Amino acid sequence: MVAEHERSLEVVDIPINMGPQHPSTHGVFRMVLMVDGEKCVDVIPHIGYMHRGGEKLMEAMDFRQGIGYCDRTEYLAQFSAELAYVMAVERLMDVQVPERAEYIRVILTELNRLSSHFMFMGAFGIDAGVFGTSFTYAFPQREYLQELFEEVSGDRLMYAYFRVGGLAWEVTDNFVQRCHEVLKHTQQGIRDLDELLTKNEIFIARCQGIGVFTAEQAIANGLSGPMLRASGVPWDLRKDEPYSVYDRFNFEVPVGNYGDVYDRYLVRLEEMRQSVSIVEQALEQLPAEGPIVAEKLPRRLRTPPGEVYSKVEAPRGEWGVYLVSKGGDKPYRLKMRSPSFSNLSALREMCLDQFLADAVMILGSMDIVLCCVDR
Amino acid sequence: MLLSAPAIDIDQPFVNGILGVVAFTLVMTVGVMYATWYERKIVARMQYRLGPTRTGPFGLLQPIADTFKLLTKEDLRPATADFVAFELAVFMIFIPALMVFVAVPFTADWLISPIPLSLLYILAVSGLSFIGFLLAGWGSDSKYALLGGMRAAAQLISYEVPLILALIGAVMVTASVDVYQMILYQDTVPLIVWQPLGFVIFLIASIAEVERPPFDIPTGESEVAGGVFIEYSGIRWSMFQLSSYVNMYAFALLGAFVFLGGWEWPFGTEVGWGLQLLLTVVKMSLFIVFYLWVRASFPRLRPDQLMSYAWKVLIPFSLAQIFFNGFIIVYDLPDIAYLITSGLLTAGLAYSAVFIVRRGEPRKPLQMVPVRATARRPEPAPAAEGAAS
Amino acid sequence: MIGIMKSMALVMKVALTRKPVTIQYPEVHREIPNRDRAFPILIWDEEHDEPFCTGCHACERACPVECMTVVMKDNPKHAAGESKRRKIIDEFWIDYGRCMRCNICVEVCNFEAIGMNNTWAGHELSRYDRKDLVLDVQMLLSQSKAGKVDPGLRA
Repeated sequence: MVAEHERSLEVVDIPINMGPQHPSTHGVFRMVLMVDGEKCVDVIPHIGYMHRGGEKLMEAMDFRQGIGYCDRTEYLAQFSAELAYVMAVERLMDVQVPERAEYIRVILTELNRLSSHFMFMGAFGIDAGVFGTSFTYAFPQREYLQELFEEVSGDRLMYAYFRVGGLAWEVTDNFVQRCHEVLKHTQQGIRDLDELLTKNEIFIARCQGIGVFTAEQAIANGLSGPMLRASGVPWDLRKDEPYSVYDRFNFEVPVGNYGDVYDRYLVRLEEMRQSVSIVEQALEQLPAEGPIVAEKLPRRLRTPPGEVYSKVEAPRGEWGVYLVSKGGDKPYRLKMRSPSFSNLSALREMCLDQFLADAVMILGSMDIVLCCVDR
Repeated sequence: MLLSAPAIDIDQPFVNGILGVVAFTLVMTVGVMYATWYERKIVARMQYRLGPTRTGPFGLLQPIADTFKLLTKEDLRPATADFVAFELAVFMIFIPALMVFVAVPFTADWLISPIPLSLLYILAVSGLSFIGFLLAGWGSDSKYALLGGMRAAAQLISYEVPLILALIGAVMVTASVDVYQMILYQDTVPLIVWQPLGFVIFLIASIAEVERPPFDIPTGESEVAGGVFIEYSGIRWSMFQLSSYVNMYAFALLGAFVFLGGWEWPFGTEVGWGLQLLLTVVKMSLFIVFYLWVRASFPRLRPDQLMSYAWKVLIPFSLAQIFFNGFIIVYDLPDIAYLITSGLLTAGLAYSAVFIVRRGEPRKPLQMVPVRATARRPEPAPAAEGAAS
Repeated sequence: MIGIMKSMALVMKVALTRKPVTIQYPEVHREIPNRDRAFPILIWDEEHDEPFCTGCHACERACPVECMTVVMKDNPKHAAGESKRRKIIDEFWIDYGRCMRCNICVEVCNFEAIGMNNTWAGHELSRYDRKDLVLDVQMLLSQSKAGKVDPGLRA
């Protein structure tokens, strides 16, 4: 009789839809999880809600107009995106960027890494369930950084400050002193977040052993950035293929051991401290005066025909710009290799056989930003 | 032996009771509305922000504005919802929460109904509320609500056990099941000194019973939707929220009376009702500030971690406490033995948190791969400035 | 248990000793730095009592999102001998809904006739209808004529 009962009951997997509007702010991303009781058996991501045709639009913009669009393609690590783009053009045109401009670029890019990781800390705490405390501890620090960027470039989020051959205009007179002030605040913020989250036993219980990815799996799936380093692969573009003036600084690259969510959090926390150290060294080495744009640049920037792939270590991974030019002042084809897109493609493999509550944590630990995924 | 007279002294006891209940319900309703206000203000202060500031001075009219908004909302019900279960669920949660207060002595003389076994009554009635969650989960005819309801019921039943066991430890020390007698027992030393483990377990289990963070699986997560209450709107939803606050007040009062000495310690019953009421309110507020503090600090636990914490950690420790209490009572050891055994068990409980986190060998720290500078900034030559490197 | 206690201690420390970071907008406005790039406005030439802009279309061509429309005319003041500008701006529309505030129009202008509004008036631009965001030449000149704006970045 029991057997008959069992035959008349059907066991199905429930599809749970985490729709385009999330409580945890990752952007417009839709995830359909097929759930068997509490375990995920399938994950189907749906992207494209933020696709704006960026790569096609940039084919109609010359090399100064396109910089504003690079900001919008990666709105949390804008300077990394701008840097990759102008480095690609500089490499094609064989332009030498003056020293002072390089140092200021590095300082601003690393400060941007700090503000992007603060955003991660805030949003990750909310995913874990801290009800906003981590968010409100991280965002005043981001506000200090944004005020500094507003003083220098004029805008709080879409800076459009780098140009081919250097910078758009000179920094403010009290730039070095303001950077030091901001760094004091950020160090306080990093300490606060560390104390709030890192050793909290409940947080560790939520993060440890979740979404484990081995080094081979990480390399096979094309991950980069903190996700790759947390899995044990010591690959950082600032160390292995240094660009700009990164070969003049002493810093350390944190590498995890277990590849789980907690390691990714720790790697990003440690990266923030290393960014502070790089900025301090760069502020020391900054030449007091010098040109900020390469000399003898033509008014209309024309690149010789050719193709180039330039990459930088963005806070999310490897941001690459593949530029094909047929002469002329606009690109023929511009492809942006976005780290969030590649990282997100590994979501299914990471989420299989995990609890439902963990799928949210794994998505949070990837630190995706949808403008980057969809462009 | 009953020391107290009922709160309102008219000759008919039935009318007494009704008037007491009505008066109390009105006070409580306003009280929980303002519980939302100070929760928002205090939690905001812990997060670098101000709470409500614009509606009235210091945002004091905010709960009234919220009530108006909720009253004027459209009252939706899913077409396929089970009518009886859907409607009844709200009341099944709200009414037991309020019924607890009938047996609670606010001061030495203010009591709606003196019940000889009041602790038993309180625990029995507050345990009824999980039926409301099941009814809401089933009656909403939505898979999120169903899953949320199941989880809520499982959580509530699981955490009833350590709650009751911790209170049984306290009952064994005071030799009475009446909350009134337990308060009178504490005229020199509050019960927290003799039973610190009971206090800690009661604290943790009461957060779970009230379903506040970090144990708010039914109301917070449940597949990133609203959980059990997903299909309720307007005034029904606000009744759920308010019943959560009423529960919070109930457990705070219970904890204040049983473990912190209520209105008896440190001044005794000789002082007037004003000071006694003040003591009650202050001790209850300590509990409530603790609940808010915990809400702002911790992430949420996963449902299976929550259950395993209750069954594998809290229940064994509270059973051990009962065993030692019995030992002390049978062999008539001095009271200090209570403190020693309970203190050791509390230290054990604190240490057990380590085992939840560290299964196996301790975690290796991050490796730091050093990067050394391989180039130097070129010195600017006197003739040319800042040229290529 | 220690980690939990430290988190709670930090939260209580913040509650008791640190001030909230809220700025009560709109009663209090934050200070905007000099280089702030709100939206482009045209600059009025006090000496000759006419706009600096001659309608040369340089900014219109350089704009990445094509948000400007420029029409020039012969300058009547030049004919009367009061001004050196042969042409002057006749109509100028900027669609603030399309502008991406990239500052390129300011950089390419030969006459320093356009600048970025770095006051709060440039940020508080809410409208009920999208067509109200298209500003014509009088509205663009109004801030500078009233002497309220000194734009920061000009090169």
